[in-house]
Amino acid sequence: MLNQKYGVGEKAPRVDGPSKVTGEAKFTADIRLANMLEARVLRSPFPHARIRSIDTSQAEALDGVVAILTGTDLSDIDPYFGHAVRDRPIVAIDAARFAGDPVAVVAAESAHIAAEALELIQIDYEELPAVTTIEAALADGAVRVHDTDALRLGLFHGLGDFKPHDNICYEHHMTRGDVEAVFAEADAIVEGEFRFPAVYQYALETHAATAIWHGADQLEMWANCQHPYLVRAELADMFDLPKANVRLHVPFIGGGFGSKSYTRMEPIAAAMARKAGRPVRVVNSVTESMWTSRRHNMICRMRTAARADGTLLARTAEMWLDTGAYADNGPRVVATAADAAPGPYRWTAYQIDAYGVYTHRSPSGSYRAFGATHLEWIGESQVDQVARKLGMDPLEIRVKNLLKPGEAVRTPGKPMDADLIGDIRKVAEGLEWDKPRPPGVGRGMGIGLLAAGSRPVSTAFARLESEGTVTVMVSTSELGQGARTAMSQIVSQELSIPLSQIRVPDGDTMVTPYDRSTGASRSTTLAGGAVHLAALDLKDQLIAIAASKWQVAGSDIILRDGRAWVGDQSATLSELLFYHFGFSGGELFGRGIVRPEQGQGTYAAGPVFWEVCVGGVEVEVDEETGRIHLRKIVSVADVGTAVNPAMIKGQEMGGAAQGLGNAIFEEMVFSDGQLLNGTMADYRVPKMDDIADEFVSYIVQNEDGPGPYGLKGVGEGILAAMPAAIVNALADIGIHLNELPATPERVWRAIQQSKNV
Amino acid sequence: MLKPFVIHEPRTPQQASELLNEYGWDATVYAGGTELLVVMKEGLASYAHLINIKTISDIHTIHLTDNDAALRIGAAVTHRAIETSSMIAAHAPLLIEMERSLANVRVRTMGTLAGNLCFAEPHSDPAAVCMAWPGASFELTSTDGVRQVLPDEFFIDLFMTARQENEIMTAIHLPLLPPGMGSAYHKFVLLERPSVSVAAFVSVAGTTIKSAHIAVGSVGPVPYRATAAENMLLGQTPGDEPYRAAAEAAASAADPVGDLYGSVEYKRQLIRVLTRQALQQASERAMGVERL
Repeated sequence: MLNQKYGVGEKAPRVDGPSKVTGEAKFTADIRLANMLEARVLRSPFPHARIRSIDTSQAEALDGVVAILTGTDLSDIDPYFGHAVRDRPIVAIDAARFAGDPVAVVAAESAHIAAEALELIQIDYEELPAVTTIEAALADGAVRVHDTDALRLGLFHGLGDFKPHDNICYEHHMTRGDVEAVFAEADAIVEGEFRFPAVYQYALETHAATAIWHGADQLEMWANCQHPYLVRAELADMFDLPKANVRLHVPFIGGGFGSKSYTRMEPIAAAMARKAGRPVRVVNSVTESMWTSRRHNMICRMRTAARADGTLLARTAEMWLDTGAYADNGPRVVATAADAAPGPYRWTAYQIDAYGVYTHRSPSGSYRAFGATHLEWIGESQVDQVARKLGMDPLEIRVKNLLKPGEAVRTPGKPMDADLIGDIRKVAEGLEWDKPRPPGVGRGMGIGLLAAGSRPVSTAFARLESEGTVTVMVSTSELGQGARTAMSQIVSQELSIPLSQIRVPDGDTMVTPYDRSTGASRSTTLAGGAVHLAALDLKDQLIAIAASKWQVAGSDIILRDGRAWVGDQSATLSELLFYHFGFSGGELFGRGIVRPEQGQGTYAAGPVFWEVCVGGVEVEVDEETGRIHLRKIVSVADVGTAVNPAMIKGQEMGGAAQGLGNAIFEEMVFSDGQLLNGTMADYRVPKMDDIADEFVSYIVQNEDGPGPYGLKGVGEGILAAMPAAIVNALADIGIHLNELPATPERVWRAIQQSKNV
Repeated sequence: MLKPFVIHEPRTPQQASELLNEYGWDATVYAGGTELLVVMKEGLASYAHLINIKTISDIHTIHLTDNDAALRIGAAVTHRAIETSSMIAAHAPLLIEMERSLANVRVRTMGTLAGNLCFAEPHSDPAAVCMAWPGASFELTSTDGVRQVLPDEFFIDLFMTARQENEIMTAIHLPLLPPGMGSAYHKFVLLERPSVSVAAFVSVAGTTIKSAHIAVGSVGPVPYRATAAENMLLGQTPGDEPYRAAAEAAASAADPVGDLYGSVEYKRQLIRVLTRQALQQASERAMGVERL
């Protein structure tokens, strides 16, 4: 099936599909090294405790235990990491800051022995007062999670200078116009306080890392990380090595969703292997991975003002996002949440104040569509509230106020680059908005923006071997999103060769060139852009060779069906290479570099592109139990150009399901800082039965993206749109919620409340 | 993570009992392992010896007994075998309804009905159904002999039953429902296990309710019989009003605690809704509107 050419726009089968369904594909935990030890992590049972002493003697005496790592082993390296704030030690040094914080690591001949040894480690904890909620952390005189004066900023904060203070890790403010003056003149004002829960990304594969040292200054690792080059830089910094001495392999990743963004278990594996003097593997349990990364829970107060004719005038939003004990990607999440707060509308004035709050809870980081998911449902529910107050249709008020292409979103920043009105009309079409609703059925829509793309720096090589096979060297992590297929299709398109002749190997920082990260919906746009340039470079070289061979102008040569043609003469790529090198050896390299000057936006000037977060749902509710039934989901993927429509639809379905989880099921329940539902039995994710009766998916292709062929990223937007659409659909049938998830009990209570009013 | 253990493979219930006598607290009975291995992996329980009763020959069948008045389901019979049994379909279709919605097909393929009952998880589906089933009993066997135990004597507390340390459950006895009796099982599931479940058996003669058995599961350590609700229904004409009153009584009789499955108030609401629905369906089936 792969012997076919699958160019851009075609539903190519996944190039990694067969190896995954047969179990042949290798994931990080499948990598076994000779003499490899298994490591297990001992974690703090207390949300906040001073570590007076650790006695490892009994554990060390256990047969099969090779080495134990504690905070006292870290004095000859810089043990702190954190790409935004260097606030996190490899294992606790002075204190444990959340229940689940790593305190010691055992490396043993087997995982069983390591687990048994954990029980033999004696730790003298002094339990300290903890701030385990946003409110507690912000209270006067609250215990401080960190001595903020001692904190250093990380290598990749990308957020200008900032200084954590009190329990505020980061703050971000945006202002336009005189908000209070505009509110004073408004005809309709709505306001409310909203709560978003802590949720887990729930990738099927947990965090894993394997490390081996070659001598004292060469570190080689396998890890399921989304951002290998950023992890490499942090490891090099901590262990005081040249970056080139840290080699990171990234095999297939079993789902990321942001949970594997930035540095995770890699420092533990590296430090443990260094102490043990042997290779070490560490693999998290599900509960441990829940402690490793999650989405920020949030409290938000928002007000929206409008004129009687439905013109949106002003908005204020104050939000506090719980980043947990360590900043992780909290600062970026806070800034992106602030960015998302105004929504995709034309405002006379706004005031946005966003804060990342340190608490004694497990740390929060990236999660698909962060920031936008937090804010879109709040902003969009207020737009619907304004519409209800003014007797306007929700579609009409949006069409009236949505930004048009070229209008400023925020200043500074990239102006609007998508047809939002076209997108929302597609949602209306899918929902049959004009048709009357059956009794008890609610419809809702949501539209928002996500600052996407991160930094536009990606590079790639395309290596053409003598038999005509192209190996694409690109450091995008394949985490199920289909990157290797999309990259292959771009090469197939440009060189006119079948997918069977194209290979995309695992990421390897010694071999595959620099890429900023796999996240922020950036890979096909930016790494794909680099691959596109590399393929074009190869194509130019091939055409030059063919032109020389046939003594014609390069413009007379075309590539078709895996051959170069001039008139009805043709040669295979292999024949061209034979001609060029004079025997059956030799290779060509294509080079692709994407950097800010080439992109249509720089990081400082705002996002690479605005990802449109738009969708709609139709719901009905069992009034007696509060259970929500989804009749229909409508997704609109505004992608510029579709490289692979089948994979885009997959992204939309997956994102919608995950958004459904965030909206109505998922919540990490904490009590006094302890996670109560750390297993699949108690943490409820959406199941097949929960997905809507009908899934309507549109792909909008306006060729208005900054990537090759006018494409732009996809896959996150629908997640952010789902909670917004669901909350609005519930309000459509009189059920008003200001807290997610909309569990059956919460919905039932809202129904009881509306009956009592 | 599973710690190492030894598996024993007895051929008779007596041999199994002897092994349990021999190893005491270090041993436990193992059939499907769908509950046991999970708690062992989580480190919540640890046994050096597992007595695999699947090697006992005569506990794998489902057959009629007591002059064809009752079903005997062997202790090694899996949920999936019950779900797909024509014998059960013909004589106890409620069990098929219950099994179809129990956990998932992987668990049902491995797990046994007896294992579920002996584990005594408070959210057990079969516990609630057996508690309400008129005349149901469990057969326990040891080197001391064989005894029959009624469900309300069997379930003592969460994860605790009347099964002695050296006993194994060898069979479940379920009398066939007499003509004029209908049954239903309704539950509300959000997490892995039910939040609330209600089993109801109703006999109707003419236009009068002759008997009602109602058991509410998942809200306490063991399922409870809603006896006040049952008594209220006797002599009543089937209909929405008596069912609502009985449902209210069943909800009042509950003593739930607030947890991840819901608050006390919400659990009472679910009992109300599910009891009414179960009574409605059971009586319709009793009256032949719907056969089951």
